[in-house]
Amino acid sequence: MQPGEVTLERPNGSIAVVSLRGEHDLSTVPSVREKVDEAIGDGAGLVVDLSSAEFIDSSILGAVIEAGRRSEAGGLAFAVALENPAGPVERVLEVTGLAESMPIHESAEAAIAAVAAGGEAGG
Amino acid sequence: MSEGPELRITVPARAENVAVVRRAVTGVGDAMGLAAEAVGDLQTIVTEAAMNVVVHAYNGDDGPLEVTASRTGHELEIAIRDQGSGFRPRPASPERGELRLGLPLIAALSDGFEIRGGPGEGTEVRVRKLIAPPDEEAEEIESAPAVAADAAALSFAHEAPVAPVLSRVIGILAARADLSIDRLSDSQLLGDLVSVTPAGEFTDGRVDIEVSEEAGQLAISVGPLVAGASERLLEEMELPEQLGGSLQGLASEVKVEESADGSERLRIEIDDAR
Repeated sequence: MQPGEVTLERPNGSIAVVSLRGEHDLSTVPSVREKVDEAIGDGAGLVVDLSSAEFIDSSILGAVIEAGRRSEAGGLAFAVALENPAGPVERVLEVTGLAESMPIHESAEAAIAAVAAGGEAGG
Repeated sequence: MSEGPELRITVPARAENVAVVRRAVTGVGDAMGLAAEAVGDLQTIVTEAAMNVVVHAYNGDDGPLEVTASRTGHELEIAIRDQGSGFRPRPASPERGELRLGLPLIAALSDGFEIRGGPGEGTEVRVRKLIAPPDEEAEEIESAPAVAADAAALSFAHEAPVAPVLSRVIGILAARADLSIDRLSDSQLLGDLVSVTPAGEFTDGRVDIEVSEEAGQLAISVGPLVAGASERLLEEMELPEQLGGSLQGLASEVKVEESADGSERLRIEIDDAR
């Protein structure tokens, strides 16, 4: 019942995984941006994990896309993880067509591996 | 007298309050038996329309965001209203990551929508979502109520699902007030007790409840009630002995506020220092 949480972890020691948990909308965009700033500042590649997000709105989608652009601009690899796609998060990604154009992987491990390999291909 | 929508919720148009209206609409959708995907669509629809109000309606000033839910036959109609500067095309700001997906999402996820209003008139976005079984007749929508600062004002038609909506709104505002888990569940119990107040006890025939939080305190304000209703409510709100035996035991404070016109409000305050 709290607003959504954002965490930054480095499960393999270098690549940053920014995870969104719970409900996220415009009111949590600043927290998301803060963690993305931190991740990009460290320069090791970024995964945005939406697997535990219960809800995201278009401003959060914008923040995720922005994270991808900033990563690219900084020469960093970027990927999105969405495990067990279901619910409003998947629906919004499908309906907006972003499911096709964003590098989305069906597990955090696969996303991390893709970033470690330096590429963006989704799968 | 027409009863108006099943639910009307009014909050100050701030980004953190969109979650409150989103949860209230989720409660209505669940109570009406919408499929999980349809409820998810409603969450997105309401959030996108409400965020447009937060960002564009009042140019940074305060103002009300009103959401109503009405059942008409086999459709649920949600309306999102503001009293702001009207809907105008504005260029997107790519540097802020704005996608302008709000209206396309609303269009894609609803079974029909319309936008009304214009410069200086405020804006109303009305959205329809099909639900399975046909039921009651359409009802007239009434005009906007006043909204207090830092409060969610709820107004229900007399057979509307009060408890599931009130419980969710109390949940999110009690968490914002940083109440302990025990006091949060006391708040929801108090909400359940006031949910069954008959519409006839209210001066306008609708169940009107305001939930607000300020400085670590949650307040549930029931009214405007007819004279004497508070006393009747307090008598009826008995709890089992093992939970304290009375409403007074659960709340931090209970007040009856009388107005010059004879109406009353019952105000229940909950904080961590009981």
